[in-house]
Amino acid sequence: MKTLFTLAWRNLWRKKKRTVITASSVMFAVILAIVLMSMVTGMREVMVDSIITNTTGHLQIQDVLYDEEPSIDHSLYYNDQVRAAIDRHSGEIAYTVPRIGGFCLAAKEITSRGVYLMGILPQRESRMNDLSSRLTEGKMFTAEDDFAVVARGVADLLDLSLGDTITMMGQGFQGMTASGQYRVGGILEFPLPEQNNTMVYLPLKEAQHFFAAPDRLNSLIIMLDDEKKAAETAQRIQGELDQEWYVTKTWEELMPAKVAAFDARDAQISIFAWVLYMVAGFGILGTIITMIHERLREFGILLSIGLKRSQLAIICLMETLLISMLGVIAGIVLGSPLMYWFYKNPIQFTGEVAEAFYDYGIKPQIHFAISPEIYLNQSITIFIIALVIGMYPAHKAFTINMVRSART
Amino acid sequence: MKTVIKTTRLQKVYNGSVAPVTAVNDVNLEFYEGEFTAIVGPSGSGKTTFLNLIGGLDKPTAGHVHIEGVDISTMKESKLFDFRLRNIGFIFQSYNLIPVLTAKENVSFIMLLQKRPRAQMERRAVEMLEQVGLEDKLNSRPNQLSGGQQQRVAVARALASKPKFVLADEPTANLDTKSAFNLLDIMLRLNKEENITLIFSTHDQRVIDRARRVITLVDGAVSEDKAVSAEKNV
Repeated sequence: MKTLFTLAWRNLWRKKKRTVITASSVMFAVILAIVLMSMVTGMREVMVDSIITNTTGHLQIQDVLYDEEPSIDHSLYYNDQVRAAIDRHSGEIAYTVPRIGGFCLAAKEITSRGVYLMGILPQRESRMNDLSSRLTEGKMFTAEDDFAVVARGVADLLDLSLGDTITMMGQGFQGMTASGQYRVGGILEFPLPEQNNTMVYLPLKEAQHFFAAPDRLNSLIIMLDDEKKAAETAQRIQGELDQEWYVTKTWEELMPAKVAAFDARDAQISIFAWVLYMVAGFGILGTIITMIHERLREFGILLSIGLKRSQLAIICLMETLLISMLGVIAGIVLGSPLMYWFYKNPIQFTGEVAEAFYDYGIKPQIHFAISPEIYLNQSITIFIIALVIGMYPAHKAFTINMVRSART
Repeated sequence: MKTVIKTTRLQKVYNGSVAPVTAVNDVNLEFYEGEFTAIVGPSGSGKTTFLNLIGGLDKPTAGHVHIEGVDISTMKESKLFDFRLRNIGFIFQSYNLIPVLTAKENVSFIMLLQKRPRAQMERRAVEMLEQVGLEDKLNSRPNQLSGGQQQRVAVARALASKPKFVLADEPTANLDTKSAFNLLDIMLRLNKEENITLIFSTHDQRVIDRARRVITLVDGAVSEDKAVSAEKNV
């Protein structure tokens, strides 16, 4: 095998320029592909992280009807059964984030507007999405406080300052009227206009009191130690709950449209990457066909003097693989610093493009990911393409007429 | 004398574009151990086809080729590859070395395929290159050698594994007179020293003059088979 490898390797360098050009085409395809895949993976990671930390968490326990009609009437009863199920999986669960909320009318004096009132446990919420870091004025309440924290947009629209009173009115649990007046103790600034113009926060107990829904939650968010175990853990928790009342869903089940949008975008990028590979692949094929046809006589002689057809096929296959792998290695070596640079310096957007990013609920940046999977996938893809291309010379080795070839 | 090759009613017919072409026609010959034989004849007389048939490179349309009693004309290709590797040496007209291997590696190549021990293989390769006067070109690649030197390496390669016989298809065709004589001297000497049967196809008078047996083919059939006195060759 060593001899066959030596022959294959030396054959590659018989026409150095040709080999370098062919390997370069693979190299450029790999560089573009790894940067592209790094971007796609990075963006997806950021988007998924944004969804998980800002919206859904890894898992949620909800009332079975909540998904169909997300109202306070379909809030879940956070009883001992749910607590026990959570406790039994404490090894997998990092923490839980209980939330209750609903749309209300908020007013100050004669100005009013629709807001979304959310009752939270501030420490848990901050652990999940670093909510406290968004405070620009005042302070975040504790679980025992009774004041509100409002988003900057709400404060501006209602002309609210620290110490002012915000009056809120809405629909409570099972037809109760929800109303209350709260002192504004803090103002938060969000990058997303949607959040900035609608969010009002209260301590969980105060919000449950407001909605006349003690011990009830819209959903119980579950944050896991290992995101990859979400589906498995959801299934196990669900198995311990009353199926008639509770449902446990993963973030992907809660956001199917987003997942489909991510998949569609990934598929588009993958098609583009495959076009790159096809271009590189045809480059390799062209070189291999030329290499084979200019060496037909040599093949005939090699077979005549005792080389087996299978050995000749291995040499040809090795040549194809080697030229491809040279391109892959060069691509990874040269592409990695580029990828790392982008990883450290994400591309920033401003203006309308930035708005479009905000609409997606993420910062207007293109993030790049660094992951061994990216390299591995590119290497495997090129390896498969090279194997397929290598079938041509291998087939030739098995079918060549050695007498006719030796005479060419 | 021991018979190395025996052909019986050997025939090869090609499908020509107009009509079938009989390249070898009813050839019955025996070649003996240690012979130095020239197969002569005009172009198209079937010399190369005959060599291809007795070398197992091509299958006869009819008849048989026996190598030391083994019928190779009915042998499966996979077995034939192995048989050729172990029993037959080949020398072609030109450009028959592996361009990416050095002279020593080229000579070792067949022994390598035969899986001989490395030390033995290297010793034999160096010895053979010394025999053909190329001890200073061990590490030269074919493109660093002249045509005559390349053919000498090819001779060393063909004989290094000590095959039962060596087939040489017009080995001097592309060589100048000096190189051709030099190559023939070497082959004749090795034929004697190693007692390896050598069969040439040629229409080169320089080769014919040195052969001990000359077989003439005309239209694929043997028209003359004559022995030449040993003294003439010396």
